[in-house]
Amino acid sequence: MSQPLEGLRVLEIGTFVSAPYCGKLFTGYGAEVVKVEPPEGDISRAHGPFKDGIPNPETSSLFLYLNTGKKSVTLDLASPGGRERFLQLVESADVLIENYRPKDLRALGLDYATLSAVNPQLVMISVTTFGQDGPYADYESNNLIAFAMGGQMFITGTQDGGPLKNGGYQADYQGGLNAFSAGMLAVLAAERDGAGQHVDVSIQQCMAPLLEAGIPYYSYLGRWGGQRRGNHMASFIGIYPCADGHLGVHLMPRNWKPFCDVIGRPDLATDPRFATQAARTQHNDELMAEFYAWAATEEKRPIYERAGAGRAPIAFVHTMEDLITSPHLLERGSIQRITHPVAGEAAYPGPPWWMGSAAWSPGPAPLLGQHNAEILGSLSR
Amino acid sequence: MAMPLAGVRVVDLTMVWAGPFGTRMLGDYGAEVIKVEAPRQWDLLRSLGLIPRSEHHWYNRSAYFNHNNRDKYAFALDLSGELGRRTLLKLCSLSDVLVENFRSDVMDNLGLGYEAVHEANPQLIYVSMPGHGKTGPEKDYVAYGSNVEQLSGIVSLSGYDNDEPMKTGFSYGDPMAGTALVGAVATALRQRARTGEGMYLELAQRENLMMFAGEHIVDYSMNGITRPPIGNRHAVCAPHNRYPSAGEDRWVTIACETEEQFQALCKAIGQPDLAADPRFATNTARKANEDALDAIIGRWTAARGHYEAMHILQRAGVPAGAVLTIPELMSDPHLRSRGAWTPHTHPDAGTWEMEAPPWKLSRTPVHIRMPAPGFGQHNGYVLRELLQLPESEIAELYTAGVVADSPDETLHQ
Repeated sequence: MSQPLEGLRVLEIGTFVSAPYCGKLFTGYGAEVVKVEPPEGDISRAHGPFKDGIPNPETSSLFLYLNTGKKSVTLDLASPGGRERFLQLVESADVLIENYRPKDLRALGLDYATLSAVNPQLVMISVTTFGQDGPYADYESNNLIAFAMGGQMFITGTQDGGPLKNGGYQADYQGGLNAFSAGMLAVLAAERDGAGQHVDVSIQQCMAPLLEAGIPYYSYLGRWGGQRRGNHMASFIGIYPCADGHLGVHLMPRNWKPFCDVIGRPDLATDPRFATQAARTQHNDELMAEFYAWAATEEKRPIYERAGAGRAPIAFVHTMEDLITSPHLLERGSIQRITHPVAGEAAYPGPPWWMGSAAWSPGPAPLLGQHNAEILGSLSR
Repeated sequence: MAMPLAGVRVVDLTMVWAGPFGTRMLGDYGAEVIKVEAPRQWDLLRSLGLIPRSEHHWYNRSAYFNHNNRDKYAFALDLSGELGRRTLLKLCSLSDVLVENFRSDVMDNLGLGYEAVHEANPQLIYVSMPGHGKTGPEKDYVAYGSNVEQLSGIVSLSGYDNDEPMKTGFSYGDPMAGTALVGAVATALRQRARTGEGMYLELAQRENLMMFAGEHIVDYSMNGITRPPIGNRHAVCAPHNRYPSAGEDRWVTIACETEEQFQALCKAIGQPDLAADPRFATNTARKANEDALDAIIGRWTAARGHYEAMHILQRAGVPAGAVLTIPELMSDPHLRSRGAWTPHTHPDAGTWEMEAPPWKLSRTPVHIRMPAPGFGQHNGYVLRELLQLPESEIAELYTAGVVADSPDETLHQ
């Protein structure tokens, strides 16, 4: 069976993480994605971490991961010749993905009005922290700024430690995923109507409503606690150090009995201080002390497997090593080995969702300008 | 112009957050989403609204539920017996997509696994959103919101500098699975338009979120090094941190990625000489002397509000952003200007503000069309207009308790 996005021609002038992650999803499910890089390459080529720690634009793990399966061409969009060749690519493209600041794209003469005149069927997906309009639209931004302005930073970390960014580029990834979903809606509409459009994705706007019940409770009830709760929403929803890592406990009322059985503590199950979720909340500190003492005696994988068999929600904090050796993920094929001509073989996660085993087919990331002859050579002039 | 998903009918069996948020987005962008709850098992979010149980229709007033279930219809159907099963299969035969996020064995046990539904409608796109997936040794393990992010690798990457792993501030995997659902369904609809065939689509929440740790997985597999968390700093760029602002628990972030930005920062905080100071003159030097640099910047930020610092720095071309609280998000001039929050009226819950559909599509704009449904609100629409059941069969469903217009409140204290 062919891949679901086969036949779709996608251009990407995205740098770093957000737009490239969107493009990665398009190419993973079968679209042809041509990544237009500046002559010196996407900035993520310069970031690493590099294979063996040796800087090399072809071995940055950030670039390798985000650009699987794409074709790379180099063009200087600020030069008249580069811009003209780019517009020729736009003529035959179905989708353009970009994450420039709106005013920077206008300065290049590559705003939506210009591009839609060249190709009215083009779906242009713009993903930026602040979106295409509004007072901050042309503010400078990056992952940290978006994480702060989107509200997730304030609620992450401990009260004393202060707001904390999540590891990696989480705001940018959220932007990339939102851009893909929004963009695919526009692709469906374009294939139905024969007309493209401009898709405006603001990472801040996507993030802000997603703070669990925070927005609904504040907006409807005027309730807002304003506290960061670190690793514990309560004693029974939290992370505890164990002998060789960290365990994550998340107990709903129905899980209490199976949990006590799995950890071999029937006395806790019958202790009146912990008999109901309300009682457990009331005796939170005592229960937390019990959990700390218990967790310290456990090793992460054996207790995880016992808990799984006993239907108790105990997970463990997976390190990168745990992921690439996970029997579950390996059996499912969701960690795949890809060989790159310079960086060699490495493990890559994917697909994000399964649509039959042949739907997702990532190849290695391209070398800088690897497809110049193939793509640019076929242009008229 | 017709909305992107106009004409697409979705049978929504999902509960709580990941699934309902995703199907709500399908509804926002034009799909007809029919949310199925059982008379004896409603969506838990109806119970989590902090509304006194003594109030009329309290279970229709949960804002947590109403934000995640607007733009849907509600059909109250018990799936556990043959009558309910047959009715659902009939609804599936008239639909394009089914979405479920039950434990991995539930749909099979109900006789509503993929094979059964595929037989009723070979063109249906059947979507499962389990935590671990439907295969593999851990498929039946229980995993709630906070577990999903632990299993995805994200938690091990997060934490204060060189400190223990830190959970995110919310059930991160849930809204990310919901967001992915829209792209996954759209991709499947394109495939179906080409092949004429339905399919089984499986979105395992931990795998979807693991994608957000991808470069760290590649790095580890190439280099074999486990790198500890680095807090709010960046492995390459400096300065990159959050700094104290005037006021209680207020903060501003600053992150320079270029020399120009750093020079602009030095000027904006009244210390242009810093840019030439050998401790800070290059990015490498700044990384090596980051503590000293952060202390200097922090003295400037502490003297002013977080928004004020952000605007001063942004006007100078420096990436800076206030660490916004929930009340600040809802009053933020930029989000307001973009119409991110919109007044909303619900027949039982009254009027308040909720988030607008987040993505702006220039040619096919959307808006919130319907408030979240009350329990069983559209039973008549589904039974009579969609399924066109004779009144005798409808009466039989009600008599058997398979369909009900009111929930059994005693089961949901």
